[in-house]
Amino acid sequence: MSAKLPSPTRAEASRANSFSATLFDGTNATAHSVRVDLHGLELTVWSTDAASAQAPLRRGLVTDVLLSEPFAHAPRLLVWPDGATLEVTEAEAFTRAVGTAGMPSALVARLQGRWPFLVVALAMLLGLLGFAYMRGVPAAARWAAFALPASVEQRVGAEVLALLDGREMEASRVPADRLADIAAQFARAAAQAAPQVAYRLEFRRAVRGPGINAFALPGGTIVLLDGLVERTDSAQIIGVLGHELGHVFHKHGMRNVLQAAGIGALAGLVWGDFAGVATNVPLALGVLQYSRDFEREADDFAIAFLHANGLSVQPLIAFFGMVAELERKLGFSIPGFLSTHPSTPDRIERLKQVTD
Amino acid sequence: MTNLAEDEDLLRESLEGGRSEPTPDQTAVLPEATTAVAVRAAAPASSAPSYPLQFTGSGSEYFRIWIANLFLTVVTLGIYSAWAKVRKTRYFWQNTRLDGHVFDYHGNPVAVLRGRVLAVVLFAAYTWTLEFSQAAGLVTIGLLCLIGPWLFWKAQQFKSRNTSHRGLRFDFAGDCKDAYAALLPPLLIWFSGSVAGLLLADEPWITVIVVLATFLLFPWMHHRLKRYQHGRVCYGDQRAGFVAATEEFYWTYTKGLGVVVGMFILVFVVVSVLAVFARLHPQLPREFTWIVGLVVGGMLYLGLWPYFAARLQRVVWDNTQLGALHFRTTLAATTLFGLVAACVFWTVLTLGLYWPFAAIRLARYRVQCMHIVTGLPLDRIAYSLAPTATPAAGDSAAELFGLDVGL
Repeated sequence: MSAKLPSPTRAEASRANSFSATLFDGTNATAHSVRVDLHGLELTVWSTDAASAQAPLRRGLVTDVLLSEPFAHAPRLLVWPDGATLEVTEAEAFTRAVGTAGMPSALVARLQGRWPFLVVALAMLLGLLGFAYMRGVPAAARWAAFALPASVEQRVGAEVLALLDGREMEASRVPADRLADIAAQFARAAAQAAPQVAYRLEFRRAVRGPGINAFALPGGTIVLLDGLVERTDSAQIIGVLGHELGHVFHKHGMRNVLQAAGIGALAGLVWGDFAGVATNVPLALGVLQYSRDFEREADDFAIAFLHANGLSVQPLIAFFGMVAELERKLGFSIPGFLSTHPSTPDRIERLKQVTD
Repeated sequence: MTNLAEDEDLLRESLEGGRSEPTPDQTAVLPEATTAVAVRAAAPASSAPSYPLQFTGSGSEYFRIWIANLFLTVVTLGIYSAWAKVRKTRYFWQNTRLDGHVFDYHGNPVAVLRGRVLAVVLFAAYTWTLEFSQAAGLVTIGLLCLIGPWLFWKAQQFKSRNTSHRGLRFDFAGDCKDAYAALLPPLLIWFSGSVAGLLLADEPWITVIVVLATFLLFPWMHHRLKRYQHGRVCYGDQRAGFVAATEEFYWTYTKGLGVVVGMFILVFVVVSVLAVFARLHPQLPREFTWIVGLVVGGMLYLGLWPYFAARLQRVVWDNTQLGALHFRTTLAATTLFGLVAACVFWTVLTLGLYWPFAAIRLARYRVQCMHIVTGLPLDRIAYSLAPTATPAAGDSAAELFGLDVGL
């Protein structure tokens, strides 16, 4: 099209690479069967109809048209700024000729054609995703949990409590004076060891199962179940509540919620269009994985908490031992929302080591 | 498959309020664009020639593209995802053939990126404002209702105007007023449950009635949406027609509901039998019953999606016309179920690496199930098309936000 180009003759064009193609003018759907000559980077489009083959239909440089990425089974598409489209059927030969003429395919198209790049990209991807999963998401969740306004955390906690109250828990049946006694004792210990941590103590009874447990919700609510009150003494209860206060101090509940959301986003990035089927698998694994780290942090907090009050860690160890024994007898681990305390022997071992 | 990109999911969530059941119509792999018609022609005789759509994409080739896209997306912290979407869409379109000629996609990645940012902002606003206060949540819902139809209209315009076949761009007819007339009623109904739940929290029975009414109106809403989406696509001087009656959507959903109820009964029976079995064998772990029940339920859930996808693709495409062109799809629920089950199995087993192969297999099946039935030679139809009214470069407003909504 440019005036600077010398006008090629048919003889010249015949020495160039020649390809069969279809031309569409961009305003009409009619297909024109054409031949495309490539001379260097210069394109000349000739009609195959002998009568109108005297003058080229189009001329121009490959660099002036939008050239589609080469795909194995698709034609190469050349789109002119005015909308005219050339469909080159002999795509492979055309790609080779254009490359020889000095116009290689886009960098990404060349890279993805090479196995070393794919292997490196895959390895780096797995590394990056693994890093994000192990370190990035927990760090971001930690930052977000402490940056978010307290009202958000409390709202989430209130929702979880309302959900559990409807299905899993009912009002406590332990005498009120015993509960008041526990609350007062714990309040004194908390004021002594960690006055800066705001918490709220709630008493409930598990609808099903023994419910020998206590747990912390986002927003600082600690729930103590009747099963634990009935089967342990005050020293053990204070130890367990100290552990739960550790969860509150570290905002573990909120971090768990945020981490699950973060891993969901990460999984969505990888399998963006794999609607919700595979994404739930790493999500569940992730939530379980993180809780173990959090338990360790809460255990450390409980030890410091008990030491600050001049109390022994032995009752807490005894409690974990009791739960482990009970689980062994029943032959299963307590499922669902109560499983935040995996009373594994090595955890007991660790507590013993720290106290020795 | 080309419609299943992440931002579409995000926007759908932001507009519909939560990750609801999969909208099976995303399955319409063919662009709403291939449709079109003004004339409600009589159905062609069964002897009329049928032109199949062909798909030439390969799993191993798309795997390379997928890895490169994913790598660059992660390295650029998500920014490349817009370019990745365009490259992926081009791959699927340029490997889809009708009568020997491929389709093409011309979306501008920068516009797609702007659309994604907008979708993320809207989604975040919808998710988080309710956490802060009820009033803020209501304002967000109001805002979504206010701009929703405009966004959807622009998204359809973007998609149509950036898809071409035989050098001709598709177009999407209709103006702003038309978009609001068609889409505002279903959008308001959709949000009515959330609004009732927020404002009338003391009287939950009202919310229950509103949600139930929304549920009953869902096929009507879906029909209205499809009629809007499929009935306004233009190709050359031809405009699409969507001739399905609302009853057909109700009938499809009723049959689907029957299948759901049947599955629930099946799961119930399986779990009951397992419970009896577990009682007879006390040495089994206590979780045994619910784990097996969950697996059975999950497999049935996986079966439900192909069922709806197949049924809805048939209802939608068998009722879409472009002049003398009629669309027919032979998609079978059982075949699709087998395919989806195999794809899920291998994708999970390979920790996701099989996904590009799965995407290609699913796209190939869906595309190759589509036929165009017409008594006229396709060449002559192409020749008779008047020049398109749309400028090739596309409308600048449509380029503003490259939203692509896969409803």
